[in-house]
Amino acid sequence: MSILSDIVERVRSLVFRRSEERELAEELRFHIEMEEEYRRRTGTSHADAHRASVIALGGVERVKDDVRDARGTRWLEDGVGDVAFAARMLARARGFTAIAILTLAVGIGGTTAVFSAVDAVLLQPLPYSRPGQLVRLYQNSVRDPGARGFVTPVHYAAYRDRMTSFAAAASISTYSELGGDVLTPDGVERVRLLRVGADYLEVLRVFPAIGRGFERVDEDDASGAFRGRDEIERGAHVVLLSHSLWAERFASDPAAVGRTLSINGEPYVVRGVMPQGFIDPVVSGVDAWIPMSAAPGRDASNADNHYLGVIARLRPETSIARAQAELDALSDRLASEYPSAKTLRARLYPLKEDIVGGSSRALELMLGAAIVVLVLVCVNLANLLLVRGSEREREFALRAALGAERTRLVRQLFVESVVLAIAGDLAALIVARAAMSAIVILAGGAIPRLAHLSLEPRVLIFSLGVATLSAIGFGLLPALRAGRVDPNETLRGESRAGTSDVAHGRLRSTLVVAQVALAFVLLACSGMLIASVRHLGEIDLGVVPANVLAFELHLPDARYDSTARARAYEEVARRIEQLPGVRAAGGISKLPATGPYNQWGTTILSGPLANDPRHGGRGGVENRVVSGDYFRAVGIRLLRGRLFDAGDDAAAPGRVVVSKTFADEFYPGVDPIAQRLNTGGRDYAIIGVVSDVSLNAEGATDYYIYHAHTQYAGDRNWALSQVVATTGSPESIEAAVRGAIATLDPQLVFYHPAPLADVIGRGTAQRVFILRLLTSFAAIALGLSALGLFGVLSYGVKLRTREFGIRMALGAQAAAIRRMVLRQGLVVTAIGLVIGLAGAALASRFIASQLFHVKPLEPAVLLGAALVMAVVATAAAYLPAWRATTVDPRSALQ
Amino acid sequence: MTDSRTELLQGTLEMLVLKTLALEPMHGWGIAHRIQSMSNDVFLVAQGSLYPALVRMKRRGWVKTSWRVTENHRRARYYELTAAGRAQLSAEQSAWNRASAAINDIMNVRTVPARWAIEGT
Repeated sequence: MSILSDIVERVRSLVFRRSEERELAEELRFHIEMEEEYRRRTGTSHADAHRASVIALGGVERVKDDVRDARGTRWLEDGVGDVAFAARMLARARGFTAIAILTLAVGIGGTTAVFSAVDAVLLQPLPYSRPGQLVRLYQNSVRDPGARGFVTPVHYAAYRDRMTSFAAAASISTYSELGGDVLTPDGVERVRLLRVGADYLEVLRVFPAIGRGFERVDEDDASGAFRGRDEIERGAHVVLLSHSLWAERFASDPAAVGRTLSINGEPYVVRGVMPQGFIDPVVSGVDAWIPMSAAPGRDASNADNHYLGVIARLRPETSIARAQAELDALSDRLASEYPSAKTLRARLYPLKEDIVGGSSRALELMLGAAIVVLVLVCVNLANLLLVRGSEREREFALRAALGAERTRLVRQLFVESVVLAIAGDLAALIVARAAMSAIVILAGGAIPRLAHLSLEPRVLIFSLGVATLSAIGFGLLPALRAGRVDPNETLRGESRAGTSDVAHGRLRSTLVVAQVALAFVLLACSGMLIASVRHLGEIDLGVVPANVLAFELHLPDARYDSTARARAYEEVARRIEQLPGVRAAGGISKLPATGPYNQWGTTILSGPLANDPRHGGRGGVENRVVSGDYFRAVGIRLLRGRLFDAGDDAAAPGRVVVSKTFADEFYPGVDPIAQRLNTGGRDYAIIGVVSDVSLNAEGATDYYIYHAHTQYAGDRNWALSQVVATTGSPESIEAAVRGAIATLDPQLVFYHPAPLADVIGRGTAQRVFILRLLTSFAAIALGLSALGLFGVLSYGVKLRTREFGIRMALGAQAAAIRRMVLRQGLVVTAIGLVIGLAGAALASRFIASQLFHVKPLEPAVLLGAALVMAVVATAAAYLPAWRATTVDPRSALQ
Repeated sequence: MTDSRTELLQGTLEMLVLKTLALEPMHGWGIAHRIQSMSNDVFLVAQGSLYPALVRMKRRGWVKTSWRVTENHRRARYYELTAAGRAQLSAEQSAWNRASAAINDIMNVRTVPARWAIEGT
């Protein structure tokens, strides 16, 4: 009861503070009047009565103060006062406040954004039930146990049926990501299709929001017709829609299940709709899932045909190690069952690690850089507040002399820091939002799971935590110092350069040294990355990507059989080549420098190595199918023999063009033309040798065998990527190319046009992303350390105004004084650089994996970074140095 | 001021205020003078400490306040005992009675108690 009335009274006092104060004044006035009257009646003179009454009460203001204390709201009122006072002080020091809030916003905002990214990609578990049980299965040869290779349909079927450790397993066609042309009232639209095994949703434990998932029978073509190798891509014509495609195509109609959707000109029955927010774990941006055929798995000849991705869910109590042991035993049995695949093994990886693996280092680097910047921000603020504290020493001394308690002064400074931190945090939230969208854009698909970055409550708490910690961090130093100020000393001392100032000047210089060192580490790291990216840009990929437009063109099976496809791709190239400004046009099954694709078992049938067992049945020769004038369009040179021509069609004997390294390696000392080989199960004769191309962006050369699409169209629908070499910019030709395709078939989709240079540079995207991020951080760090140096030197100059005045009066040259200040700045910078060098040596170990043809601690890079630092430091030191020379001796000495 | 006047005992002000208000509701100045006159001018109430004490007592719920007009037609804040205040008064009253009786007993002892005498020899 009494606690309640206590609280009610306190709150009332707070809320009605004004009327309380008024009533108190009235009450005390009444008291004094009564007392006065009483005293006059007892004989005191009129004038004395008032005085005596006030004295008897003990002073009106004192009583008021005591009553305020008694109300129990004092601490809050003081707090409100402190906050209001802090806000006033900060508003008055506009420049200081702006810089402080800005640095805080950048530091906290940057860290928050980066933390969101790290959280989204690395820390958040996969959004599926018991995600720890999800694994990805890769095949590898005994010789290369670390490789993560695709799985043959034969082995996939065996794993799925025989592994007791698996609760479910499913194939995914990440090997050849598919587009589907969906017929809409407005024409044809391309969507992203993913072919998956029937148990895919069983593996993920995600079930359709409407309708149901696939069944095993969906893995067999309902029509039952055998279509040769096309069988690989044949399942039942049923489709699971993503929530967004359902909303778009069927206006979120629940009755959509059972209706048909025309994909690639063929009707697909909608089987179900995935729940909103479902994200495919393996391929991003999937619009629809269709079943993958199981037929190839029943054909033992497919035991060396690797094209399946496989994910599985382990049984609840099964560890990945136990599952791996079972898998090893099964691989041994399979090796004896399928002699053509006897060196094959398989390995399980946690699904999350597999998805995130390659980018975790990039994110850790980002986080490291962000933390360095945050530390810099805190150091900078401590410095700013120290300088400001020194400037306000007199103010505090005066207040202490007038009776302000020390604890209150300390508290007030502390409140100032907290107010600053909160203002900074609000600004930081804005910066964080901007930085997060910048990260998503910068990442540009190079980092998985980053597309759905959002400011989360946890991240918000993290941000607030950082703000509070920095407030304590930088608020403590100046506040404690202010608490020690001796009013006597400060008020009396005219000379400002006392011993305490020297000591604190040293502290501030130390902080600046730390700033310079940290900034140098970031500068050196981004310098090393810049060098790496430049080296990558200088690599000869074997193609000339300048002025080449690349795009995708899919010919739907429903309207194009193999003969029509063979004709159509040649016709597309021919028509585009007739456009003004086009030099050459063609197509290929996989663009160069974008990674491995059709690695087929290849046997040399003639020449000196014909019977060499080392080359018998070796896997891993890259096979490509080309159309039109592909070689000329991308700048691959013919070295021997001839390229494909119209005569190399399905009726002609098998002919291939090979790369120079292939010819040199497998036909040493003989003319490769007319030599024979077997690849992908068929025999061929070599008709030409072309220059090498790189397998990836880092310039790794591999063996290539090229087939003519006119001859190979019957094998499967190759969905060739098209390239167009122009005399102008790739973009300038886009509209004309689109028009040329439309005249051929208005229902074809001109998909994903982009300059070839961008497409084949994708391997470097992650590196470029890290580079951009680190460079921005380094720039911020550089700016902060310059600011710190400037602040310290400026204050130093201010302290020594008198000294400079005396020196000038005694005839010192302006240049000498300038040199003095400059030297002071450069000494601090030099010490920072030396320490930073050690830091860079440490940091370079972390970024070693991101470097390319750059030694960690490459002298040129370090020298460059040091030079940048020195130039910026000199600039930052010059202004205070110049100001030192503008001291007027007379006014300084007065 | 005469020598016979004395400062209030520590901690007794609130009890005396409670006792004063138990007789009738009163304003601050009235309370001070009532205490003084009830003690036959022995106790000198430090008027300055009265008002903070009243605020504390109000926070504890012992008194409530209202603005009324005095017999001289002036506006004044009157303090009035609540039920909790009455309970508090009787609790303090009995505690005080016990304590003062005990103190009186001690102060009135004129000879060494028997037990002490025995042990002392």
